Amino acid sequence: MARFALTRLASLVGILLGLSVVVFVLAAVVPADPVRAMVGASASPQIVEAKRHELGLDRPLPAQYARFLSRAVRGDLSMSLHTRRPVRTDIAAFLPATVELAATALALAVVLGGALGLLTARGGGTTLRVALVAGASVPAFLLALLLLMVFYARFGWVPGSGRISSDLGAPTGPTGLLIIDGLVHGRLDVVRDALAHLALPALCLALGPAVALGRTLRSSLQTVLVSDHIRTARAKALTERRVLLRHGVRPGLNAPLTMAGLQVGMLLAGVVVVESVFAWPGLGLYTARAITSVDFPAIVGVTLVMGAVYVIINAFVDVAQVAADPRLRAR
Amino acid sequence: MSRRLPLLVAVLLAAVLVGSACSSTPTPPQGGEGGTLQLAYLADMAQADPDVFYDIEGNTVILSVYEGLLKYKPDSTEIIPSLAESWEVSPDGLTYTFKLRSGVKFQDGTPFDSQAVKTSFQRRLDVGAAPSYMLEPVASMQTPDATTFVMRLKHPVAPFLHYMASSWGPKVISPKALTDNAGKDHAQTWANDHAIGTGPFQLTAFERGQRYELTRFDGYWGQKAHVDKVEIRIIPDIGTQRLQLQSGDLDAILHSFPQAELASVKSNPDLQVQDFSSYLNNIIYLNTNKKPLSDPALRKALASAINRDSLVTEVYGTYAKPSSSTYPSGLLDPALAPVAYPPSETTAAVGGGKKLTFAYTADDSGVHRRIAELVQQRLDAAGFSVTINEVQLPQVFEYVNDLQAAPDMVMQTNTPDGAHPDMWARIEWYSTGGLNYLGYNSPQVDKLLDQALETTDKATADRAYGQAGKILAQDTGIIFVADPRDVMVLRKNLTGIEHVPNYPWALNLAALQKG
Repeated sequence: MARFALTRLASLVGILLGLSVVVFVLAAVVPADPVRAMVGASASPQIVEAKRHELGLDRPLPAQYARFLSRAVRGDLSMSLHTRRPVRTDIAAFLPATVELAATALALAVVLGGALGLLTARGGGTTLRVALVAGASVPAFLLALLLLMVFYARFGWVPGSGRISSDLGAPTGPTGLLIIDGLVHGRLDVVRDALAHLALPALCLALGPAVALGRTLRSSLQTVLVSDHIRTARAKALTERRVLLRHGVRPGLNAPLTMAGLQVGMLLAGVVVVESVFAWPGLGLYTARAITSVDFPAIVGVTLVMGAVYVIINAFVDVAQVAADPRLRAR
Repeated sequence: MSRRLPLLVAVLLAAVLVGSACSSTPTPPQGGEGGTLQLAYLADMAQADPDVFYDIEGNTVILSVYEGLLKYKPDSTEIIPSLAESWEVSPDGLTYTFKLRSGVKFQDGTPFDSQAVKTSFQRRLDVGAAPSYMLEPVASMQTPDATTFVMRLKHPVAPFLHYMASSWGPKVISPKALTDNAGKDHAQTWANDHAIGTGPFQLTAFERGQRYELTRFDGYWGQKAHVDKVEIRIIPDIGTQRLQLQSGDLDAILHSFPQAELASVKSNPDLQVQDFSSYLNNIIYLNTNKKPLSDPALRKALASAINRDSLVTEVYGTYAKPSSSTYPSGLLDPALAPVAYPPSETTAAVGGGKKLTFAYTADDSGVHRRIAELVQQRLDAAGFSVTINEVQLPQVFEYVNDLQAAPDMVMQTNTPDGAHPDMWARIEWYSTGGLNYLGYNSPQVDKLLDQALETTDKATADRAYGQAGKILAQDTGIIFVADPRDVMVLRKNLTGIEHVPNYPWALNLAALQKG
């Protein structure tokens, strides 16, 4: 297991290096002048050049990259051009909201996808399938607005935007995840308010991955359900439900788990759109703003964090696969 | 079993939704005075430091917390007192003497005096960010007594008083806060998300990406604010903002409301549309430095082929007028620098199949995209072949570094920092102007603008500004499309609406009342 963790760690470093190179090359290819945008219209050419020098943007690209790397290994991701704060501070402030949203969405996707897979494996679940597929086929920003129009504007069941009602005085620690912090402080009102704010954005994010998961689970279950051990189980006169849940699911989990790992990537991408529509104060929102102001230090920082999250989650998926399917351990 | 699972899912979903339903938002207090004003920004204001802040989104916060020496009268270009009660300019235009208001306190209780002004102004120069240019002509600052502040300039600067009244002009920060939080960066780390000024509101929360909260400052020297609090939430999607305005969770949308939807708002009994005069100016820069638009005759033909007047009506309806001058309406007598683009007979011969690239910056109201599409249609009909391209502002700033690779045309809506012709012309079409994206360059124009800057007689200076504008208009270096109104959509119960043309997207929050 230790060896497995080490190889994973090594691959993580490799992937992050690769990602940072890609973003730096993009920065060189995209013609944009963030410095001029930063210093304003009335700045003299001398001020523009001084600022460019201060930020090290007048050096050749390899030198800029070397400087970035030497800082990054010490945990310094440079200053954001837009917020003028260390990118690390910004990410620390915006990451918890995204983690909470993405984790809830993933959990919801697993529940919905699992239900879809189990029901459709034996030809049922038409209603659920139609509802999920329809939802997942609508572009995310449109779905988000539709959900808001119905559940916020029409019925008033959920709040229209944000993460928490500002008048609640929600606790600010220890995790930054409002549901957990609310529980820690025994503030059920905070937990409920946070859940209400979470419901629509999480649903919006979860639909696409749920359909992907459900379909993978379905096809893998269908393969399992014609195998010998299932025939044996049926021969023991177990109920169909017991056959499916007890003997079918576990060997059929391999492919859906891989899919879940891949869908985390989709989910993190969807975060940018969904966070904008729901005014969710997370990394997606931060990224959207960083992109429009061509704030490369921030873009690089977010890319690295997202890349790391993706790799780490997929490492967990590998572990889960081994746990679910003992046959993999033999390898 | 297959029947029970959907039931389970339905129960789960219902549980989530019912759980949500219980947490209804508290009802806002009723009545004229007090209450909380709910506003929204489309984007983070990034920082609250008045010596760094140089954006439009966010000026409502800055202008509510901080004050400068001067300000503008609502709906006017007239400069009126703010922290200075009166002022005097020496005949040579070099010495500015301000008589300061007495009895003013900062929000932390520190008394306001001339030394506080000097400390803040010196800080702006030391920080040296975008808005510091307004104080760079200052040679020395003196404080003969607690209520007198004197600035001596290196050379006459015609718009200097407008610098003092500008939305981005020098503001006075509590000197105690600046000392206590000095650090090694002139208190920039502190001022980034804190603010202590003399204004009618205190900044009581600055949660990046989420919300800003302003609370009424009861020790304010002037007319105290009507509402107790102002909450400004970051809602980056204009569609979400609209839903919240309709539901009453927002009291106003101060900018970028979709132009096409304004008509439907008018029929809504809960909402009102207000439009105000502004110095916003929609313009199309032409790349005079490369073929084919290096040919002045072709530029003139192109300007006519756009058929601007009908385009403005089609896009803006009644919320803009076709520009009548090279200066935003109100800055200079339009007769001094008029523009007109008489529509031409559109025949395919005008463009002769020439390829043009047209870049525009995105805006949430949809106006820019619409104009770009119409311009493309009309120029295509006139025989050009136009490619349109939506870009971000930092990309636009890059064009001047390589004009041969830059697009042939760039469209933007800009606004001058102050209500003075110099503050428009110098950034837009002076050869090194910061918003002169496509490098328009006329030594004659530069010379006229430099002459005007140091001319103390207003009429003479205005003539020079007019002359510079005329040359640009004859040259068709820029096509002046429209003078848009500053359009806002508010709940019907809002009163006390006070707007300054030079403070775009902002209302005087202290004057607003919830009925």
